[in-house]
Amino acid sequence: MVEELAAPIALVGYGLAAIGPGIGIGIVVGNAIQAMVRQPEMAGVARTTMFLGIAFTEALALIGFVLFFIA
Amino acid sequence: MGVILAAASCDPAVDIICAPDDVLELFEFKDALFTIGPFSFTRTVFLMFLATAIVVGFFYFGLRKKAVVPGRLQSMAESVVSFVRNDIAIDIIGPEGVKFAPYLLALFSFLIVGNIFEVTPLINFPITSRMAIPAFLALVTWVIFVFVGFKRNGFSYLLDTAWPKSVPIGLRWLVGLIELVSVFFLRPITLAVRLFANLVAGHLMLTLLLASGVVFLSELPTIGLRALIGIPWFVFGLGIYVFEIVVAILQAYIFTLLSAVYIQTSIHPEH
Repeated sequence: MVEELAAPIALVGYGLAAIGPGIGIGIVVGNAIQAMVRQPEMAGVARTTMFLGIAFTEALALIGFVLFFIA
Repeated sequence: MGVILAAASCDPAVDIICAPDDVLELFEFKDALFTIGPFSFTRTVFLMFLATAIVVGFFYFGLRKKAVVPGRLQSMAESVVSFVRNDIAIDIIGPEGVKFAPYLLALFSFLIVGNIFEVTPLINFPITSRMAIPAFLALVTWVIFVFVGFKRNGFSYLLDTAWPKSVPIGLRWLVGLIELVSVFFLRPITLAVRLFANLVAGHLMLTLLLASGVVFLSELPTIGLRALIGIPWFVFGLGIYVFEIVVAILQAYIFTLLSAVYIQTSIHPEH
């Protein structure tokens, strides 16, 4: 029973793991756009920092992805 | 040309590859073209050498003459080099970043060619969607930033990570534990998995959408007008195709950027 459900449960787990990073990336990108619009001369720095922020926020979703494969 | 269908049961007699029983087959290298000793030459390995040859050829022919007024190829090669050197290495790591610029340039150009293979007609296979390649590149980055960290800060690199002085004593062990796991285990893993996951997802999406469009439309004589459902799938697939070009370039950039950031945090910890 449990073995049969392992894959569906892993899928649900990945879905849950994607919620937090989704919200986080939204906040990061939203604030980066605000920064770029308010200070266009700093847009380059804001963009690089935005990619970094996205990359770090994504980590939890990626761990969920790996656990989905492992399960 | 086989087509992967996500159906659990399908007829392998038709020219259609069934969904793998176990998703771990995605990580395996199969169907060697030829074998030399312990090394099997699969399509991935061949494409890996092709990517290397493209990168080496591009920079060799681009920077061979070093004319004062650069030609077309030379200005392209120079803009790639100056982008990685100035906008990634020096901006992120600082003046010492020049030392790491060759590694970052090799990483960036190899990844960009490997990722662009995803949307190259007749190839349509990103080599970075095989776990071995991103894992190995992430491992190289890991070795470099750990080595640089120990070289610059001595043993206190490990000590400061595990026992950060700037954190209140009560929480220090917890933060230290999280940092230790995050720096030495999660960093390389997420670096590799980020690239791998993005490319696998993009490759599967392209395959499914374009293939279902083709499969439906080729059934037009037998199932009649219902086959037209293939058209929206195909158009949607073409839209994703453009999106995947952006993803391919962006993921190469992010991998290089994060490698630079990890090296920078090893040179100047506690920032």
